Amino acid sequence: MMKQETTQKPMAEQDFSLNIEDLRPRPQEKKHLSEYFMPRRHSFIIFHPDRCTGCGACEMICSTRNVEKVAPVSASVKVMRDGKEGKNFSILCQHCRKPLCLPACPTRAIEKGDDGIVRIDKLFCTECGLCTMACPAAAPIKDPGSQEIHKCDLCEGDPLCVKHCPENALTLTRGKAVRWIKGLRWTSQLMSFLLLVMVFVGTFCYFRTGSVSFACPTGTLQNIASSGTIVLVSVSSALALLILTVVAGRLFCGWVCPFGFVLDLVDKITPRKLGWPAFLKSRMTKYGVLAGAVGGSYALGFQVFCTVCPIGTLCRSYGVQSFFKSAELAIVPALASLEIGERRSWCRYFCPVGAVLGLTALLRLIKIVIGAKRCKKFSCIQCAEVCPVGIIDADKLREGLSPKIPMTECIMCMRCIDRCPYDAAKIRFRWQKAVPGEGRI
Amino acid sequence: MIPFQPFYNMKIGVVDLSTSSAEVIPLVQERVSRYLGGAAMNSAILEGYQDDALAFGTGPLTGSFAPASPLMIATFTSSIFKRLCHVPLMLRTGPDMKFSGVDFLVVKGTAPEPSVVHVNHGVIRILLAPTILNMPVPEAIMELKKTSPPFQSLIITGPAADRGSSYASISIGTNGSLDKAGLATLMAAKSLKGIMLGGTDGLPFNKDNPAQGKELEKIISGDKNFKRRGFYAVLKNLEGGKDAGKYLKADRKKDMACYHCPSPCMTHVRYSWHDPRNQEMEKSEEGLLLLDHTGCIALAKKVGKNILPILWACLHYGLDPAGVAEMLPEGGAMTECINAIDKIISDGPPRTTDVSEANRLCGGGVPPIGTDDLWEKRVALAMVLGVCPIFLLRFPEITDTALLSFISTREEDLKTLQERLSSAISSL
Repeated sequence: MMKQETTQKPMAEQDFSLNIEDLRPRPQEKKHLSEYFMPRRHSFIIFHPDRCTGCGACEMICSTRNVEKVAPVSASVKVMRDGKEGKNFSILCQHCRKPLCLPACPTRAIEKGDDGIVRIDKLFCTECGLCTMACPAAAPIKDPGSQEIHKCDLCEGDPLCVKHCPENALTLTRGKAVRWIKGLRWTSQLMSFLLLVMVFVGTFCYFRTGSVSFACPTGTLQNIASSGTIVLVSVSSALALLILTVVAGRLFCGWVCPFGFVLDLVDKITPRKLGWPAFLKSRMTKYGVLAGAVGGSYALGFQVFCTVCPIGTLCRSYGVQSFFKSAELAIVPALASLEIGERRSWCRYFCPVGAVLGLTALLRLIKIVIGAKRCKKFSCIQCAEVCPVGIIDADKLREGLSPKIPMTECIMCMRCIDRCPYDAAKIRFRWQKAVPGEGRI
Repeated sequence: MIPFQPFYNMKIGVVDLSTSSAEVIPLVQERVSRYLGGAAMNSAILEGYQDDALAFGTGPLTGSFAPASPLMIATFTSSIFKRLCHVPLMLRTGPDMKFSGVDFLVVKGTAPEPSVVHVNHGVIRILLAPTILNMPVPEAIMELKKTSPPFQSLIITGPAADRGSSYASISIGTNGSLDKAGLATLMAAKSLKGIMLGGTDGLPFNKDNPAQGKELEKIISGDKNFKRRGFYAVLKNLEGGKDAGKYLKADRKKDMACYHCPSPCMTHVRYSWHDPRNQEMEKSEEGLLLLDHTGCIALAKKVGKNILPILWACLHYGLDPAGVAEMLPEGGAMTECINAIDKIISDGPPRTTDVSEANRLCGGGVPPIGTDDLWEKRVALAMVLGVCPIFLLRFPEITDTALLSFISTREEDLKTLQERLSSAISSL
């Protein structure tokens, strides 16, 4: 008798099992229009190591909430005491923007709420401890007694540890501390923009007062290449910006450049970035653009790049006298639109002015350092998040290492110094080897 | 009946070193009600044991939300005072003892080999530790961390005690202690190298205690002493303290506090020094926690600016700085002092300490703050309730009633507690 063939699998072979996606689908990230313009800030607790005396009041009160008794080992906040160094530091959840504990949880018991607080749902937690391993700060803590996982949930917005710390070593922040550098920088950028674009039109490219003259160094290089002669006056006029760069790094890019100011404004209205494909993301491209500009000027006999330079066109075309009169004005919005890919895309990859200043910055007197020992908050990485040119290696920080910051790329905006809640980002002279808190923990 | 249950595990650990056995017996409610705890309870417990027995105990407020509640009290018959003596052990030892599941620990007998006692979850284990004999304190701690079950706090003796020096002092971690009564010597005689406290449990205490603690903090925040914090602030108000402070110059300082203390009286210092006996060695940086005010004053009088390295050497070998100061030459050079310390460790003469009644109460380590009468009352109060004596001396506005109200706020309970407290203090 012939066996009847069938396409249907026997019942035993059919997969009726439910997977985690069926049981607990990951919530879709909600995108509100308001968030697009003004990204939501999340709360977290800042630890001030200089104030902490190691009394453990935070652990006591935290444990009463977790396990309804005073048991410091069951607290979600830990004060670590370095007896040799005489330093205290804390382990507590930073409620990261992209928490690593969240994808590590196999039962999806960890969720980040709309209020930015990362919580563990005890109902789904199997106490496997993977989150404790995934978190770079080891903030989820496994209770040695009950084996439960405890993690800070900011006491639903009113942390007890902050209230009970007698030294005010723990403070709750909405992630927006008073940042005086930010205020200074924006003022400087606005003033520079008004002066260079609105008042002294075209002064960035060349400006002369009496016997003193200033000129754009990239323009000067092209001028030399196109004319085939080196005029000492024009070379010396380019020195002002170069000397500033030697003294203070690429301060011009972060604090003065009018096009940089435009890019920062555009960034404010386009906080979500699309990113660029990897092959476009070479920081060497700007040196190629510089070489092309100089070579083109030599071949064609005029300053090739200056005709499309966004800084130059901004200074020349948007002034009071020639507002909306020149065709050049299209260049600025066109290049500013690169901001949808990455912050300061133009400065990172294409700007030849930045390339000249970057090469000059090899001789700089100062550097920015981030000391991992002082930082000790691997999951914070706010410095890496705020860096507009993306040169702070977040992975290095997560490993507990001080990242090396390439000063040829750094635009000295000092956002990292401004933002760091732990005072780990500092300006140092380049010859200073002993960085406070540099090295590995 | 006054509810003591949330303040104690109601357990006493009894260790017999001679048979390497341990048992946990219940703490009887009536006994706690009578003696409250701390030094008074220790003394009562020791009545049933031989003279060489040693008791470690906590007070009812130890580990609670009462401000500065770090105290564990060691009670034993001192070879120096020739009678029962109490030594306060600070930092986190008291809370960690309670959170290890026992409130009192009695150690009797002598171990055949150097041993350490490990307490956690109410289980007591006696572990052999012959490798750490004669090992400097920091190295011994490292060794115990590698080879023993995890612990939060550790009381350990150093090589000075191992060699039978009467100048030995117990060390809490690497930080030294206020033991000037021969606790370390007695422990060494019993071949007890240390006590490790796991501290992984907890106690519920009373629910309104956190608010009461904050209230007391508010009261003392108006005191002038509240802002004068750190080791130096306490030191300069003591006789000879200003001069000692001048010599205690360090590269970096950081004020540190014991368990739940809102007004730190300790300071961690980092300093650099060069060992004159080793010319090839480069200048090295060391750090230590200054907590022994009387020890530092005594040492500063003898060694002046060399105080920090000498103090470090004392902590390294488990010696009492005040005792060492007795033996050092006046204004001695560094090499001379270090050689003298080596001699003290190996064959120092018997110690002749001030055997005043007051020193018997606190092992001679609590600095003389305030008047003599007040000093004795406050120290006795601290030694019974498990609150830091230095803290109570600095803040006299914290009354007995305020502290007892952590246990119960009912009028009649408070009255009874007050009577029991007076009786417990007088029994010391």
